[in-house]
Amino acid sequence: MTELILQALFSGVLIGSVYALVALGLALAFGAMRIINLAHGELVLLAAYMAYLVESRTGLEPYAAIPLALAVVSAVSIALFMLVNMIRDHRELNSLILTFAIGIILTNAILLAFASDMRTTTSAFLQDAVSFGDVYAMRGEIIAFALSLVLMGLLWWWLKASWYGRAVRAVSSNRGAAMLMGINPTRIETVSFLVAGALASFAGVALYTMSVVQPAVGHALTVKAFIITVLAGVGSIPGVFLGAVLLGVTEALTVTLASSALQELAGMVLFLMVLFLMPNGLFGARARRG
Amino acid sequence: MLALDGVTVRFGGLLALSNITFTVEKGEILGLVGPNGAGKTTLFNCISGLVRARGRIGFEGKDMTRLPLHRRARSGIGRTFQIPQPMHHLTVRENLTVAQVFGAGRKDPARIAEILDVMELSHKADADAASALALQELKRLEIAKALATEPRLLLLDEVLAGLESNAKRSFMLKLRELHALFGLTIVIVEHDIETISNLCTRAVVLNFGQLIADGTPAEVFSNPAVVESYTGTAHA
Repeated sequence: MTELILQALFSGVLIGSVYALVALGLALAFGAMRIINLAHGELVLLAAYMAYLVESRTGLEPYAAIPLALAVVSAVSIALFMLVNMIRDHRELNSLILTFAIGIILTNAILLAFASDMRTTTSAFLQDAVSFGDVYAMRGEIIAFALSLVLMGLLWWWLKASWYGRAVRAVSSNRGAAMLMGINPTRIETVSFLVAGALASFAGVALYTMSVVQPAVGHALTVKAFIITVLAGVGSIPGVFLGAVLLGVTEALTVTLASSALQELAGMVLFLMVLFLMPNGLFGARARRG
Repeated sequence: MLALDGVTVRFGGLLALSNITFTVEKGEILGLVGPNGAGKTTLFNCISGLVRARGRIGFEGKDMTRLPLHRRARSGIGRTFQIPQPMHHLTVRENLTVAQVFGAGRKDPARIAEILDVMELSHKADADAASALALQELKRLEIAKALATEPRLLLLDEVLAGLESNAKRSFMLKLRELHALFGLTIVIVEHDIETISNLCTRAVVLNFGQLIADGTPAEVFSNPAVVESYTGTAHA
């Protein structure tokens, strides 16, 4: 039993790192534009299907699809941003409806193009088991975990040290005052959407290498990203990572100790418990300034 | 330097500003005064681009009327708010550096250090902008942020409000110092007649969205229409 729990904890951390990438993309777009992009999970899914496309058509490893995924997801992200940017009144509310509808359109477009079958990598290299003492992981999971950590580090550096990153934080902090400092908010929002799209691209390809994807997964990913963002509070990369790992571990333990049918429910229960007990999120106000 | 010509703003049925016309000369410290609801902050909002207005707003000979907010800031118009608006997620130094890079289009750490020094914020330069500053420091950060965009015209909205009399006096001296040091033109919204009289070379008075007096502080504060507007009998 102890081995099973240890394995669940380990698997939860690995999948949690990819959830963190998904959540950071959602949080970035929210921070810059104050909109919740309900199509974000579908952008991740689109990247996952680009990995499937490249692997199935060319026989290359799924990670070879990253340039294609970046190009396709960036194009869709920009189109999505332009649509959201056309909203003049009640942008927060109307963008929810708009991005929800775009998510449905993307899900059905993927369904039409790739059918409803479940897809996962066929790469023997990525599916090879790697042992760490008593626990095991697929090589694909380890690579995805390492990739997530590197991307989170890069994102942290970009937000902290680059001028555009600082401008994103400025707009996120106080849009009107940022404009009075000469910051063009439309440019910053575009950059934020592109970076969120890039994170979604990497997350989608990583997800394909370590899990199973199908057209309905996009919506579930958006919900997970939303849960993590609420758990962690917007604006803290370490907070998002810890929130994502917590969700991943909760799901993995639920699957191990109870039933895989309860996996999604476990995340929701965690979400409600945190909202009820710690309404400011796990990391409170301190994380929001992180 | 700044030329307002027939600036008019309506909020639904309310005429917030009616045909405001005056100019501000380079190097002036102009006081914009009037009772609550006179339209002073609305006029600042029009000049800085937060509110769209009819009429014409010219700055250094260029028509700014249709320019968006961030392009007016880049053109040399700096502005502060009565309630300080720091970038909460950025440190004090980052607030200023981002303002300089995007507002002035260059990075000059020496100039940032000078602003931090003159605004007495050097010791808080790497502190969290929101949580580590007292009200007076937040007000100084508000001005420092505007200075970092390297403005030629600085619009100060009730920057002395909420300060006790000693702090107000030292802040007033600081404004004089900034005016001389950075070669600024300043327009300041202020209720306190004594402050306007001591600080400004000229005052413009608004009441119910209309310009009712324009002259030296001594002239406008002895104007019967201004006295009436302050004692509340003009539209009673």
